[in-house]
Amino acid sequence: MRDRGLEMGSAESQDMAKGNGSARLTLAEVRAKLAGQTGKKYWRSIDELAGTPEFEAALSQEFPQHSSEWIDPVSRRGFMKMMGASMALAGLAGCTKQPDEMIYPYVKAPEDLVLGKPVYFATAFPFPTGAIPVLVKSDAYRPIKVDGNPEHPITKGGSDPITQGTLLDLYDPDRSQHILHRGENGTWPVFQASFRSALADKKATGGEGLYFLSSTVTSPTLAAQWKKAQAAYPKAKLVQYDPVNRDSAYAASKAAFGDYADAQYKLDAADVIVTLDADFLSGAAQPGFHKLAKDYATRRKLESAGSGDYGMNRLYAVESMTTTTGLKADHRQALRASDIAGFAAALAAAVGVGSAPSGYTWSDDAQKFLTSVAKDLKANGGKSVVIPGEQQSVGVHLAAMAINDALGNVGKTVVYTETVNPLPSIQGDDLKSLVADLNAGKVEWLVILNANPVYSAPADLQFGDAMGKVKTVVHLGLHNDETGLLANWHINGTHYLEAWSDARAYDGTASVIQPMIDPLYAGHSAHEIVQSLLDNPDVSAYDAVRDTWKDKTGAKGTDADFGWRKALHDGFIADTAFAPKGGGGKASIPAPAAQAPADSLEIIFRPDPNVYDGRYANVGWLQEVPRPVTNLSWDNAALMSYATLEKLGVAEHDVIEVTLNGKKVLAPVLAVPGHADGSITLHLGHGRQAAGRVGSGVGFNAYQIRSSDSPLFATGATVKKTGDVWGFAVTKSHYQDHRSVAVGGDGSGTHSLEGNEAIDRGIIRYATLEEFKKHPQFAHEGEGKDVPEPTTSMFPSYRYDHNAWGMSIDMNSCVGCNACVVSCYAENNIAVVGKHQVTMGRIMQWIRVDTYYEGDLAAPRAHFQPMACQHCENAPCEQVCPVGATVHTPEGLNTMVYNRCVGTRYCSNNCPYKVRRFNFLLYSDYETESLKLMRNPDVSVRSRGVMEKCSYCVQRITATKIAADKENRLIRDGEIVTACQQACPTDAIVFGNINDGDSRVSKLKRQERSYGVLEDINTRPRTTYVAEVLNINTELAAARGEFAAENS
Amino acid sequence: MAQIFDRSSNALARASLVLTGLIVIALGVTLDQLQRSPWVTRQGQRADQPVPFSHKHHVEGLGLQCQYCHVSVEKSSYAGIPPTRTCMNCHSQIWTNANLLEPVRQSWATGESIVWTKVHDLPDFVYFSHEIHVNKGLGCSTCHGRVDEMPIMYEQNTLQMEWCLNCHRNPKVNLRPTSEIYNMAWKGASEMTPVWCSASDVKSGTPTAESVNCTTTDPNPGAGSSEQASLHLIPVVNAQTTDAPSSAQPAQTTSYTKFTSQEALGDFLVQHYNIRSPRDLSSCEVCHR
Repeated sequence: MRDRGLEMGSAESQDMAKGNGSARLTLAEVRAKLAGQTGKKYWRSIDELAGTPEFEAALSQEFPQHSSEWIDPVSRRGFMKMMGASMALAGLAGCTKQPDEMIYPYVKAPEDLVLGKPVYFATAFPFPTGAIPVLVKSDAYRPIKVDGNPEHPITKGGSDPITQGTLLDLYDPDRSQHILHRGENGTWPVFQASFRSALADKKATGGEGLYFLSSTVTSPTLAAQWKKAQAAYPKAKLVQYDPVNRDSAYAASKAAFGDYADAQYKLDAADVIVTLDADFLSGAAQPGFHKLAKDYATRRKLESAGSGDYGMNRLYAVESMTTTTGLKADHRQALRASDIAGFAAALAAAVGVGSAPSGYTWSDDAQKFLTSVAKDLKANGGKSVVIPGEQQSVGVHLAAMAINDALGNVGKTVVYTETVNPLPSIQGDDLKSLVADLNAGKVEWLVILNANPVYSAPADLQFGDAMGKVKTVVHLGLHNDETGLLANWHINGTHYLEAWSDARAYDGTASVIQPMIDPLYAGHSAHEIVQSLLDNPDVSAYDAVRDTWKDKTGAKGTDADFGWRKALHDGFIADTAFAPKGGGGKASIPAPAAQAPADSLEIIFRPDPNVYDGRYANVGWLQEVPRPVTNLSWDNAALMSYATLEKLGVAEHDVIEVTLNGKKVLAPVLAVPGHADGSITLHLGHGRQAAGRVGSGVGFNAYQIRSSDSPLFATGATVKKTGDVWGFAVTKSHYQDHRSVAVGGDGSGTHSLEGNEAIDRGIIRYATLEEFKKHPQFAHEGEGKDVPEPTTSMFPSYRYDHNAWGMSIDMNSCVGCNACVVSCYAENNIAVVGKHQVTMGRIMQWIRVDTYYEGDLAAPRAHFQPMACQHCENAPCEQVCPVGATVHTPEGLNTMVYNRCVGTRYCSNNCPYKVRRFNFLLYSDYETESLKLMRNPDVSVRSRGVMEKCSYCVQRITATKIAADKENRLIRDGEIVTACQQACPTDAIVFGNINDGDSRVSKLKRQERSYGVLEDINTRPRTTYVAEVLNINTELAAARGEFAAENS
Repeated sequence: MAQIFDRSSNALARASLVLTGLIVIALGVTLDQLQRSPWVTRQGQRADQPVPFSHKHHVEGLGLQCQYCHVSVEKSSYAGIPPTRTCMNCHSQIWTNANLLEPVRQSWATGESIVWTKVHDLPDFVYFSHEIHVNKGLGCSTCHGRVDEMPIMYEQNTLQMEWCLNCHRNPKVNLRPTSEIYNMAWKGASEMTPVWCSASDVKSGTPTAESVNCTTTDPNPGAGSSEQASLHLIPVVNAQTTDAPSSAQPAQTTSYTKFTSQEALGDFLVQHYNIRSPRDLSSCEVCHR
């Protein structure tokens, strides 16, 4: 993890910006290029599409710019000296003697511990949108992997990037390690004494002047503790505030039901899904992501063939910022965020609720979309669902409720329940009144629990200044962050993997959160602080949690602890799911505000897909993994459409000054295909100042222009070009191979190079449902889809006697959420390289999710293709390795022997899939103590000069083989699960033995839609893909001119 | 102009060519030998340990079974180094004042580990599993030597890759019945020390130890082989060993085969223990990831 906080000089940034190939092609030109073409057209980046000279030059290199060069200035003389010395010592290197190693055995070994065998514990990750039930792999009682709990009804084993990343968050070396009192080391007893004495003074006044500011309370136990404290101190106040919150949903439910309620969507029963800016396929920011994604994908597996009815659902997406949900949708309409309330009202009117908003005008496409969606919804009453976006206005939520009610969906595809979070509130309003009290001098003690308002509160509230007026500020947090630095007391918090707590998942099912490890830095939890208010301040969180659930975790027979132990073992407490409320509430759709003028500019604030609201800014994995859609690593950007780009007269990489409500922020520009015109999306969570060595100074802080009145989106922004440029680390142009012209592409640059291949050589194959029914073999018909006979190779074929490992990836199910990528980081000890290295194409991720765009820049489709080593049976890399460091195993794995690798990189050069990663520098962190605890002990930590790549999780294969061999049996199908497969929330990845005809993977590979990428060059990849099938609305497609006749 | 070099320089030049060649060869041989020398491999070296623990005394003298201390050898990749508590099980009662045991008492009192120097130290990029070796018929002494005769622990074999591969390419030379795993004196089957084995109907799913019964005493005395059986002179520790407890009385119905050579026994065990083929076993990913 070196190099990650790297600051770039401006000259270098400029160079990088140029090198990255900013497209200087006008939108009109690109469109003209696209328009003249027939057939499917794919592209991955605008440079590629434009065919810029920089891009062409970049293609001729195996790794992107300069990545194969020594980046530090080294003189020729210095180089010669070093080479001479290396040569002289090279022969002797093999003779080095291992240093003595020590063994530190236990003094008293834990009874159940078998060293070397991992143990799994069920717990839950309390995310503000609801608990994510997880299963934690623990090696010698150190958590080393976090995955979804397969037995839980919500996750069913799936996870998401953030959940995966919480592991690194636990071992973050920059976590706060001490209690600080005015910057000096303090102790817990001293704090407690001072807190208790203040409380004693306040007892008489009922706790006046005592304020708590907490991030969203997710724990029923904490809520219960607070209620007791509230009874003791009736005038004390608890304000919850997260910058990304559920205010709209809560306000809407309050209006409709008179009380806060959560909507639960049941996509397994939905034939038609309409999202109104709801990004339910990207990650945990959407409540219930795991269940929604799984249910969505289950209906798109097309496994119930035969009857001709595949039970496919159809997804319509209306959205502002392009998200994976929109790109997966069968039909997508981009609208400004401020237009969506009007669109929702219009949609409601079209299905027969309320009246269409006046004064709204829609583009031709949007109008057609509206008409078709309304028609489809009406035809599927009771089998459809409209999902409003969390980051959309109350009006959108009310409209969605009204539509669902009118269509008879309530009780079928959507139910309303109690809220998952025990103390729902309108957080934006509460924060405003808190700040008013702060400024009025009413607050004497402000206790901040796991929140960072100094960084994340809306800029107009000037929270930092207001907080300065308080006598005593206490801050509890994992990091001594922006808020902690200004507080009188900073108390180092516990991570959820270190302390007892509880939380409820999407359906209300409660989970007990159990500690996996003793607090690394003797931290304290919010439970302890709130308990300090009560008469029995030393009641532990464990006792408090047990007490909360004592009725639900009862005894069985004489075993008093049975229910409790079962809850801990299972990871959830049975029968705690919420019962649906009767009816759909009385949602009346408010008249949307007048449509913003067409020439106005709108700013949309969204949580970052990886670092969320900034709380995970110091998690290197999450910073480095390219965001879905933008493929942007280590930054945020002013994201806008190409048309907006042009209208504002700026180009990609330009730094612009965005002014909103008198506040300014500098932001670099990045274009996003399909973004709504006239609006700019800013991702929150960047520009941290006190995040730590990884997250500080990454990106810009969008909170600086966020106001408390319009925290979701705001119109009336102005933009000024500053003349500076910014170098992005965008990975989508990396790892392209220069083959297009040679293999028959037209070379005009009209099609993108990879686009040429994607279509001509069938990298991406898809069809609409109608086409699929007519041509079930579509994935194998047409040019470039021939598979050569195995005998065409010069090399003899291998024989695979027993197992032959293979993988099948369902392109229909892959939603591009990146969970697999982060899971792979955790499982395989993959290093984080830092922005500068990423810019040079040295990102080390073993699996990447390739996004192939298709069609018009303003209204693209996209296909997500997870790409990792294909484990070719006839592998080009094996044939060129001069030292036999990459070899074929008897089970067909293409395996890396790190110790043999001398770093010639011939293998990577010869790999058509570009999935090999080279350690140009020593990227692995060998020093930081806390990170040593995190590593997977079954995987080598690679050093400099070594090639690495996906191993199909060979450590898991070996472990399973040993287990099976001990029992003298064959390996069962599904017994080996790769890390990416385990993390996948939609079960898109299936791994198994292809020699076994009954295995799931064999069955998938026999499907008519199964194909291999670049099979025509006879690599015989072991990983195959199941071609995508879209369930389009033919009427709408015809009306909008999508899917022209070329396919039918 | 006179010649610079005398005629005799020709011979000198030739000799120097030969000499250079010899030096290169010698250097190569030296490096090769150095790489295999105990200096690098630590073979036979007795490391300084905080307590001069004697396996000879504890195993041969007191008869402790290996797993009393190395508890996870059958269950995990690590055999396990005993916690201080295991030492104190006895040494809180006996030799409670011995000077030699001061580090043990110190550890017990302070809670700090006894810091041993690793004797069998594989490189970190090698993933060795005791579990599978022990369960497939490789005894402790095959790799560790006669630990019961070592007053101070040392490395019997080089633990170098070529040594591993010797067996991975031809496992039958070292296989023994799983009942004999902890038998330090095991010498393999021979005319003098025959082994009788019977395979139950090998069904998939039966653990290795239960699929084969082996004994070093003739299970059918009085039959044709009795003469040979009476001749065998095997160490007393092997008096009667069978794998499964239920087969304390070898059923008359099972037919035992007599093996008088390690070759034959190895072949039999390779088959019935389902040992993977040398091609599988010598594949890189078996040990390296």
